[in-house]
Amino acid sequence: MFKTRSVLTYSLILVVGFLTICPVAMLFFGSFSKGLGAFGVFTLDKYVRAYTDPALARIIVNTAIFVFGSASVATFLALFLAYLNNRTDIPGKFMFKVISIIPMMIPHVLFSVSWVLLLNPTNGLLNLIFKQIPLLQDFSLNIYSLWGMILVEGLLDLPIAYLIIAPAMASFDVALEESSRVSGASTWRTLFRVTLPVLRPAILAAFILGIVRSLASFAVPSVIGMPGRVQVLATHIYQMISTGFAPDYGKAAAVGMSVLATSVTLIFLYRYLTSESEKFVTISSRGYRPTVVELKKARYPLFAVVALLSVILIVLPVLVLFYTSLVPYSMVPSARAFSMISWKHWADVLSDPVSLLSLKNSVFLGVVGASLGVSLSLLVAYVIVKVRTKAAGILDSLSFLSFSFPGIVIGVGFMWFFVRTPLYATIWALLIGYIATYLPYGIRPLASAFVQVHSHLEESSQVCGAGTFTTLRRIVIPLLVPGLVSGWILMATMFVRELTLSVVLSRPGTEVLAVQILRFAEDGLWGRLSALGIIMIFISTTLVILATLVGARFKPVEGGG
Amino acid sequence: MEIRISKVSKHYFSEGKTIKALDDVDLTIPANQIFTLLGPSGCGKTTLLRSIVGLETPDRGEISIGDEVVWSGQRHVFVPPERRGLGMVFQTYAIWPHMNVFDNVAYPLQTRKMSREVIRRKVEKTLQFVHLAGFAMRPATKLSGGQQQRVALARALVAEPKVILFDEPLSNLDAKLREETRKELRTFLTGLNITAVYVTHDRIEALALSDSIAVMREGRIIEIGSPKKIYFDADHRFVADFIGRANLIKARVTAQDKETTLVDSALGRLTCQKRDIAPGSEVTLCIRPEFFQFLPEGEQTSTNIVHGRIESLVFVGEAYEAEIRVKEERLISKIDPDASLSEGDPITFHVAPEHCLLITQ
Repeated sequence: MFKTRSVLTYSLILVVGFLTICPVAMLFFGSFSKGLGAFGVFTLDKYVRAYTDPALARIIVNTAIFVFGSASVATFLALFLAYLNNRTDIPGKFMFKVISIIPMMIPHVLFSVSWVLLLNPTNGLLNLIFKQIPLLQDFSLNIYSLWGMILVEGLLDLPIAYLIIAPAMASFDVALEESSRVSGASTWRTLFRVTLPVLRPAILAAFILGIVRSLASFAVPSVIGMPGRVQVLATHIYQMISTGFAPDYGKAAAVGMSVLATSVTLIFLYRYLTSESEKFVTISSRGYRPTVVELKKARYPLFAVVALLSVILIVLPVLVLFYTSLVPYSMVPSARAFSMISWKHWADVLSDPVSLLSLKNSVFLGVVGASLGVSLSLLVAYVIVKVRTKAAGILDSLSFLSFSFPGIVIGVGFMWFFVRTPLYATIWALLIGYIATYLPYGIRPLASAFVQVHSHLEESSQVCGAGTFTTLRRIVIPLLVPGLVSGWILMATMFVRELTLSVVLSRPGTEVLAVQILRFAEDGLWGRLSALGIIMIFISTTLVILATLVGARFKPVEGGG
Repeated sequence: MEIRISKVSKHYFSEGKTIKALDDVDLTIPANQIFTLLGPSGCGKTTLLRSIVGLETPDRGEISIGDEVVWSGQRHVFVPPERRGLGMVFQTYAIWPHMNVFDNVAYPLQTRKMSREVIRRKVEKTLQFVHLAGFAMRPATKLSGGQQQRVALARALVAEPKVILFDEPLSNLDAKLREETRKELRTFLTGLNITAVYVTHDRIEALALSDSIAVMREGRIIEIGSPKKIYFDADHRFVADFIGRANLIKARVTAQDKETTLVDSALGRLTCQKRDIAPGSEVTLCIRPEFFQFLPEGEQTSTNIVHGRIESLVFVGEAYEAEIRVKEERLISKIDPDASLSEGDPITFHVAPEHCLLITQ
């Protein structure tokens, strides 16, 4: 028993260690090499050239503004929404659940494209509409700018920030505020001296995760930033490896090293903060109805703001894409536009061999990748939660490391590895890269599922006379099903829409959906892009529904979970 | 300071039903007393306390603290909690986790814009008073439950309010610590010139701490009195039953003596405490388990003798808890633990007339 456990632990450390350390090590060695072919010859040349590039200063400033701006937008909006949901009598609370979950099904690249379709300076739909309104004729918004990038990335990171801040807000003991009021502090003083400081770890954690995610973001910088000539580190690295006759993977690795180092540092800071915020949990209230702030007159205006946000986050992108996929070129919805509606773009996409190939590849990666990823996550989560030896702690840290991986940088690292193997330019290269980068998303729901399977539950089953196998089948697996399902859904949807890693690793023959959409965007084929995009959203949604149905079949009759 | 509550009502609506949290409450809490609101959960005691502090607003009525009206439905007066100048200890203590002990306690003084030096002195003095001298720089979350409780008390007392309110402050402590803290609290409060309003559902806490107790049920105050009055001389069946374990027996008044009232009941004819009730009236006879006095065989007293049979006998350490069958009635009683008795034995009791309480409501 104990022996098998430690064998399992060490073999998992080997597997996960390979997945996480390998790309980092290859990136490191690669940055000191002359080129993909000349691996192993030590040179500092790449660092010198990467960091003496006169454009770099501007790029770093842009990146800093982009990253801090979008993290601030996401955190502020999340705080606002979490407060409204948990502490006020705002109507329509179901919307908050929608806002926090549904946007995850809309791929980032499509969300970015939909904003380009709405707000690009030449024929963005909203800009075209402004032209028709008398006083706004000369008014137009240009999405191809730093503020446009900040806004779109902020909206994309909003759900994750909300998922961090909302639970902290929900478990907040209202008596902390009440005692401040009784002590003579006004509402505002209470807000700044008590409420916000107590929530500070959660707010900071959301902010830092926002920074990490926007630092790794490629969809927004490539779809919105590149046409507007706003360069950030992610697009800078991308251009080194994708344009010109001689892609320079060494220079890309040299720049990537500092992006990765920043990201890893931030993620460990994040981890420290989340454990710190757990320390802030004091004795919790017993059963007293938490005081709800009455919004009174502000109730419906605030509701309208939330409703507007959910329209912006969910309805508008899908609607714009669908509309664009049906009309021949960008035009304001009108009688004339509707008379020209046709399925032409859909037919084009469905007869385009590359699009069909990318569709096939993405579905394969989604289904097979998520299944393999969840299987690995299941074992890792088991060791982390149930074995809890020192080696298990190492596994925990290892698997957490990839949480910080910026896809494009880690893609460069993998590139250095794959060119030396027969895996290069195969779909398996993508599969391994995906699992390595997104492993924590599978481990987290399964780890919390394992936490719920208290050892007493297994032990009492054994005492009742059930053997190991029966205990596993009747007790453990049914309790794990919700975790398995949400882990699978999370991984499958992420794999279907994966972009950042794929733009580096995808080669002719291994195209995937998001990369194909990026190509359409670069060529300005908005109609085909939209048709393919809608198909992509449809696939993600189908996978989610299927997984939920399968999960429901295995759920114990008693329900409960 | 005296607190006057007149005609205060507060209704909640939940799941289509109206819940009367406070139903026309009239109450005067005298100055410089420890006054307890006691009742089962959901009786409105916490709502009443929170209305006094200003964390909740009633629907109707008027509340004044000292000479100041702090809330009035008719006159549209609402003084927010921060301007009522009170102190409060919360059930969860509500110690701010991001501050150390000193900052927690100093907070009420800082909001009153006192000078640094004065704040330091007052905090020190108050911490000393609650036996937490030397803890000032500790992070508040690193303290034990009992210590956190004292930080909360210090914070409530530091600004020297005229009124301090307690919302079940001992319910998060374990049994032993609760007993100690209760005694401590009593000493702290009696040393001060302060009106204390204390909410609890624990009858022992209420009896041990209070100068006066108001028993509440379903949003109303049923009875107010000193702990002894409530325990020995309750006017209401609910109060007698809630404040301690009691045998409630149906009885009928047969005659009135000079100093006693005579009743007939399932236990036979009993001489009870004097109550002004007309002969022939139906009453409830209330006898607490500890007042059945076990008579060993041979000993005799003239009046109030009860004969029965022991149905069950449980040894709980300090006593036997016995169930005694007397005709159709089953009584609970406490018996001296060194009596040699066993289940099924016949048993004889004496009950002193002053412990035979008669209740009409």
